[in-house]
Amino acid sequence: MRATTTPPPSREPHRWRNTARFRRLGLQTTPGRIRALAAVVVLAIAGFYFVANIAVGNARDGLRVIGHDAGPQVLATGDLYFALSDMDSQVASILLTGREHSPGTRQQALHRYNRDRATANRAAIQAAELSADDPTDQATVRSILDGLGRYERLASQAMVLDAQANHPAGPPPRNVIAVYRQATDLMTQELLPPAYNLTLEGGATVREAYAAKRSAVLSGRLWVALAGLAVIAALAGLQTFVTARFRRRLNLALAVATLGLLLLTVSAVRLLSDQAAHLQAAKTSGFDSILTMARARAISNSLHADESRFLLDPGRADTYSLAYLDKSQAVLYAASRNLGEYYTALGTAIKAYRANPRAVRFLGFYGDEARAHPGPAVTTLLSRFQQFQTDDQRIRQLTGAGHDRQAAMLVTGHSAGSPGYSFDQYDQAVVSLIVRHRGTFDQTIRAGDRELGRSVVGNWSVVLPLAAVGAAVLVAVGIRARLVEYR
Amino acid sequence: MHGRRAGAAAVVALALGLSMAACSASGPPSIVGKQTLRIGVKEDQPGLGLRLPDGRFAGFDVDVARYVAAKLDVRPDHITFVPVTSATRETALGNGSVDLVFATYSITPERATKVTFGGPYYVAHQDTMVRAGDTAIRSVHDLKGKRLCAVAGSNSWKRVTQALNIAAVLAPAASYSACVAMLRDRRTDAVSTDDLILAGFAARAGPAVRIVNEPFSYERYGIGIRKGDLSGCEAVNRAVSQMYLDGTAAALLQKWFGRTRLQLDTRVPQFEGCE
Repeated sequence: MRATTTPPPSREPHRWRNTARFRRLGLQTTPGRIRALAAVVVLAIAGFYFVANIAVGNARDGLRVIGHDAGPQVLATGDLYFALSDMDSQVASILLTGREHSPGTRQQALHRYNRDRATANRAAIQAAELSADDPTDQATVRSILDGLGRYERLASQAMVLDAQANHPAGPPPRNVIAVYRQATDLMTQELLPPAYNLTLEGGATVREAYAAKRSAVLSGRLWVALAGLAVIAALAGLQTFVTARFRRRLNLALAVATLGLLLLTVSAVRLLSDQAAHLQAAKTSGFDSILTMARARAISNSLHADESRFLLDPGRADTYSLAYLDKSQAVLYAASRNLGEYYTALGTAIKAYRANPRAVRFLGFYGDEARAHPGPAVTTLLSRFQQFQTDDQRIRQLTGAGHDRQAAMLVTGHSAGSPGYSFDQYDQAVVSLIVRHRGTFDQTIRAGDRELGRSVVGNWSVVLPLAAVGAAVLVAVGIRARLVEYR
Repeated sequence: MHGRRAGAAAVVALALGLSMAACSASGPPSIVGKQTLRIGVKEDQPGLGLRLPDGRFAGFDVDVARYVAAKLDVRPDHITFVPVTSATRETALGNGSVDLVFATYSITPERATKVTFGGPYYVAHQDTMVRAGDTAIRSVHDLKGKRLCAVAGSNSWKRVTQALNIAAVLAPAASYSACVAMLRDRRTDAVSTDDLILAGFAARAGPAVRIVNEPFSYERYGIGIRKGDLSGCEAVNRAVSQMYLDGTAAALLQKWFGRTRLQLDTRVPQFEGCE
């Protein structure tokens, strides 16, 4: 216990210290000043808590949108698009084969058709779950599923008519084409566009969330550092005042509070830096490429279907071959005025890339991918795309020479060396890149989640309020013993 | 005194913290947030973009542009329509003399290397218009050896002579209204372009011309945006989605093309995606 019973004398009074307002606040007495300083410290702690809470909340929101909502939504809707598009592709293949299916090919196509339908249903349910808080998106997914029912009826009608027609490989009779046109128009104009637009919307959501949340986390980091410094300065001020007035060495409670807040500030700043880095990695090394490749896969499947439709429906051959060219250019853009020139330009572009993977001289999805992730996986992807295009050229040469039947047999085959096989190989290369980017993406999202604390220990929504309250209690304890002396 | 200064700093930090939530990312200039918009439209295509005698613009493209601008929070009297031709669309966007282009602007991979495309807001189909008495031309392939009107900057004639390799003889023109005049004056044998454009001209030309009605392509009408304005592109796409959802698209198509024989598609098209 302290020996002194009289409070230390006040220093030379300052002019404004004698104002009425000053006296009303009780600042002319030492206990009053201690209380005022303590109030400033507590306010600063509250400010720190407020600022840190917002910054950590921004990091959490960013991770949630990118990693758990829109990111998975892009994957689910990408799968949905692929499965739907592939259903139509399989129907075209069955109709093209006619009675000339080698043992098992028709069965195989039907099997794939059913598998696609199951995948589409699963992906649609997943997409609906992920858009639980967006009624418009949910309605879109529902309408896709409704349309799918109508599509299936038309497709089976076309397949039944086709079986009855018992035609050789090549374009089926007119009545079959008429029903298939209804089916494929329904698919390409009513079912696929909303699925693709949902994928794009997921991409837009991620881009916006990333831009807003990452910069918020980074500016939050600055504010946390400033607020932490302010609290520490306020605590130091209180400490100085108390030790000077009461001629004591150190107020232990205040010192502990200062040290605690210093640690908290440093780790909060580090956490926010790491979170910003995770957001960046998830977006630029994972998500962007997932989106690019998911779109490339969707468009590729649809151009593959255009190849079959071109053979199936001679009345629309021009439409389908022009669409095929446009879509090929979207996947890999090499300047060319028609398909003939495209095959050549594609060959030249890929050859140049192989010679020097650092100088990517083509645009489109694969231009982006090759620039972002140069390496053997992209080289494989490009070679397989080129092989698929070479086979396409062969098919078009056959039809051009009047060998429709031969072209149809080629395009529907899936044995090694056939165009169907080369498309499957190409699609696998696309999928393996998606899987790879997905790995990077999941890894960074998991790291971010871990640091924000899914567990209680290290969980920032627990640590932050506890630390703030703890610091305020320490301040109260620290000044209480001094104030008691004035009772 | 330390305590007082630190306290003041803490209060400042707190105040700044409050304003922190309002902070947003700054990016490259975008059409989003602009108070006024200059929109490039055609001035000579009836039904799509036509300058009326009083100087105002009217047509499907113009109405779609107004709808999208409203969704971007631009007041109707803050929109300036600027006439563009097929040849000037990319330059007008590039040099900033227009903010957006709604001018029967088909998305092509080649154009997509120069501008960012929102939409498409409609998918038209290329068809061919000939003189009513000309029965020799029944499909685009019959244009071999015939004179085909070629509008500078347009993709339509390229579809015929380059993409489909049909050896038509090109008759250059500056616009589709000029092409239609040339067709009637026998200075060209055919005008091949989007069915929406042809329908507008056919309605005016009456029995003098005939549309072959053998569509052979998908022409995806994009909204031209300055290259790289991603947030602008995304905002425009949301507006187009909304336009189909709330029935405006169907109403506008009916308003401008309801009296033609065209099969109008009132379902939202597959977007190009913003790059």
